[in-house]
Amino acid sequence: MHSPFRPDYNPLIRKLESIFTLTADERQALENLPMQITVIEENQDIVREGDRPSRCCLILSGFTCTYKVTAQGKRQIVAFNIAGDVPDLQSLHLKILDNSVGTISRCSVGFITHEALRDICTRYPRIAAAFWRGTLVDGAIFREWMTSIGQREAYNRLAHLLCEMLVRLTAVGLVQDHSCDLPITQSELGDALGITTVHVNRVLQQLRTDGLIELKGTRLNIPDWEKLKQVGEFNPMYLHLEDLQAVA
Amino acid sequence: MTLTLQPVRVATGFEDEGVLVFDGEQRLVAVLTHLSDRNEVAPGHWFLEAGFGPLSGTSHPAFADLDTAQDWISRRLSPRV
Repeated sequence: MHSPFRPDYNPLIRKLESIFTLTADERQALENLPMQITVIEENQDIVREGDRPSRCCLILSGFTCTYKVTAQGKRQIVAFNIAGDVPDLQSLHLKILDNSVGTISRCSVGFITHEALRDICTRYPRIAAAFWRGTLVDGAIFREWMTSIGQREAYNRLAHLLCEMLVRLTAVGLVQDHSCDLPITQSELGDALGITTVHVNRVLQQLRTDGLIELKGTRLNIPDWEKLKQVGEFNPMYLHLEDLQAVA
Repeated sequence: MTLTLQPVRVATGFEDEGVLVFDGEQRLVAVLTHLSDRNEVAPGHWFLEAGFGPLSGTSHPAFADLDTAQDWISRRLSPRV
């Protein structure tokens, strides 16, 4: 489901404040950051591997994924991106994109020019530090995903991913009472977790049977958060949130 | 390519029946699982649960029947010209 971007809720500020303390001035500067807002339908590429972008995309609403495709045409999703994420922020410093970013659901995306981003970072070095911190946390998430894909069983791997999504969505205000919209398909989960869609379906059914998740359409509800964390061996430390208590 | 099949039960959590698939030299090349009707992706299909040798690292298709699965495996195992 697509919820339109509300101007009174700036997900970029919400995201940065979840990992960094901003002053009123810095918040205002981020509010004033010029962006071109576009709605992009589901399953569309926003940027592609090999592109040389002159702007970054801020996800305002909806879900996207960062992915790479092998020579045999197999897709590996390396990250799910939600409101407040800037999945191609690296393009500010790395000229050629080494991954693609595509929408999973219908999304509102704000394009911010590199020029505007360089300007805000020069004028507000602490905002530059906040962006830097964000990319370091992205690195921590990649490390956790690599550990999951290489070492965790599919059942625990999926539980871990669902825990991560719930905490990240909570941090940007998109979770109510352990319940959230999660429009990710079983095929996309498979591409992210390195397992077949057939097996994703088995594991989801097992998690449902074990009372760890409830799925209704794209709505995910987690009736037993502590148990799901335990099954996923989930320690939210790697997300480096400022107020871990509030979200995990 | 003559394949031999040996029935097995596969511990998928769904008590699926399956077959071990051996090539002409009695080497294990694949495990095919007959998905239960409870599977929501491909109920009743034969799924390439695991492949070895030329079948490792390939995609994991599901086939409508066992004959189609065997044809697909045979083609993959036959020497390339």
